[in-house]
Amino acid sequence: MLIEQSAYANRWRQVAPAAKGLFALGGFIAAFAARAPIAAIAVALLIATTTLVGAGIPFGRYLRVATPALFFLGISCLSLAFSLNLNSDTQALSFHLTPTGMQQVAEVSARSLGALSALLFLVLTTPLIDLIAMLRRLKTPEALLEIMVLSYRMLFVFSEAVHDTLTAQSARLGYATSRLALRSLGDLAANLTLQVWQRAHALHVAAQSRNNDGPLRFLEPVFTNKRRDVAFATAGGSVLVLLAVVLS
Amino acid sequence: MKPTVLNTPNSNLLELEHVSFSYPDGGIGLDDCTLIIRHGSRNALIGANGSGKTTLFQHCNGLLQPQSGLVRYDGEAIDYGRKGLRQLRSKVGMVFQNPDRQLFSASVQEDVSFGPFNLGLAESAVRQRVAAALLAVGMEAFANKAVHNLSYGEKKRVCIAGVLAMEPELLVLDEPMAGLDQRMQEELLIVLDELHERGITLLLATHDIDFAYRWADRLHLISAGRCTATLEAADLADCGDALSAVGLPLPKVVELHNRLMAKGALSNERTPRTPRTHGELLALL
Repeated sequence: MLIEQSAYANRWRQVAPAAKGLFALGGFIAAFAARAPIAAIAVALLIATTTLVGAGIPFGRYLRVATPALFFLGISCLSLAFSLNLNSDTQALSFHLTPTGMQQVAEVSARSLGALSALLFLVLTTPLIDLIAMLRRLKTPEALLEIMVLSYRMLFVFSEAVHDTLTAQSARLGYATSRLALRSLGDLAANLTLQVWQRAHALHVAAQSRNNDGPLRFLEPVFTNKRRDVAFATAGGSVLVLLAVVLS
Repeated sequence: MKPTVLNTPNSNLLELEHVSFSYPDGGIGLDDCTLIIRHGSRNALIGANGSGKTTLFQHCNGLLQPQSGLVRYDGEAIDYGRKGLRQLRSKVGMVFQNPDRQLFSASVQEDVSFGPFNLGLAESAVRQRVAAALLAVGMEAFANKAVHNLSYGEKKRVCIAGVLAMEPELLVLDEPMAGLDQRMQEELLIVLDELHERGITLLLATHDIDFAYRWADRLHLISAGRCTATLEAADLADCGDALSAVGLPLPKVVELHNRLMAKGALSNERTPRTPRTHGELLALL
């Protein structure tokens, strides 16, 4: 939801998604091109600053969106840093913190941070509908796009259904004790399964009544300053890649 | 925008002849239903919950096929082949009761463009129609908004725009007023009036007899899957029996008008016809 809100209410909402995609792509390439951790960190910082200052995403929100990803990154770094050894003489397991491991951790985590910041830049500034329209222009298979469109729309329909059912259950003490809670949760799941089926059917009927007999086609949004935006983004992306190469 | 057909108010646009339909679980949908919708008229289908309104509507659009009986559009029996249905559905637009079951694209503009694209129109034509349809329902400022950020009433308008963009001759609306507050209802009525002005024939379902009397030219009564009567709104004051047969009262305005006439507060000379709205009645006093 936080990502969704930012995507619709940031300073660069009207910037062409192609430009934003291009800049993010520059970020990805830079993150992979950066051999030294310091270079990748510099790229990450630059993109994060662009997101915060340029697109005007509040710092607190940025941190909250990034936290889950950082948490997973931390866990995978730990597993990289320590190596598990089985001593053949004593048959004992031992953990080691290896210097090569540390080096690896620094490289991988710095690169991941670079890539993460590029991804966050894209999703925090571009609504998914714009991204889908862009993917359509890039000739992504129609079936994939349709699944994306429907899943995205259904996400909100279902979160509403879940919320309504939860509220209705709570109002009748459905979650008063842990026993009841377990039971209510089961009911919720059963009820949702049915709703999924019914809603899918209803949407099918609605599509039929509007004469659909195959691919779902939609109008794409128009962005007025596309050329200018793309030029800026190309320049920005190139700066990122250059920075990564120079610092490595 | 419309209409392509000559506007001859007395010719029949849609006819159901002795249509019966029952659901696989044994529930009766329609039972020997006969109904006529005239070109350019405003029609209200009145019935209680579960009386078969939605089933009847789905027959108008070819979503359901009668098990016996016949549906005619513009005098010709509906062809339920692919091509025939395509033709029918481009002329009969259907607005469902629950907007969340009709809108499936994430953005307003995209969803409205869905129907015109299905008609096989080119992108520039689609863009034009989408803009015109959004303008007609007063949602032009919302074109690039996400559907899930809209209020219920706004979603309802987008649903109507989505169907309008296909430029239908007959617009069928299932309980359009349900869930709307007073102000949104008034706004929707204005939209419907404008569509009617353009020559679009309207059929809507409701269970509110007062609203139906105020708005419609003709009222079709349905009860337990049977189309029991079609009444001219202008003659409704004399149709108390037909209404009470399906458990409906006379409209409140008519009741009050009758009582005032009986008491002598109003006389026949001053009221050539029964008032349709509270406002009209007040103006007479």
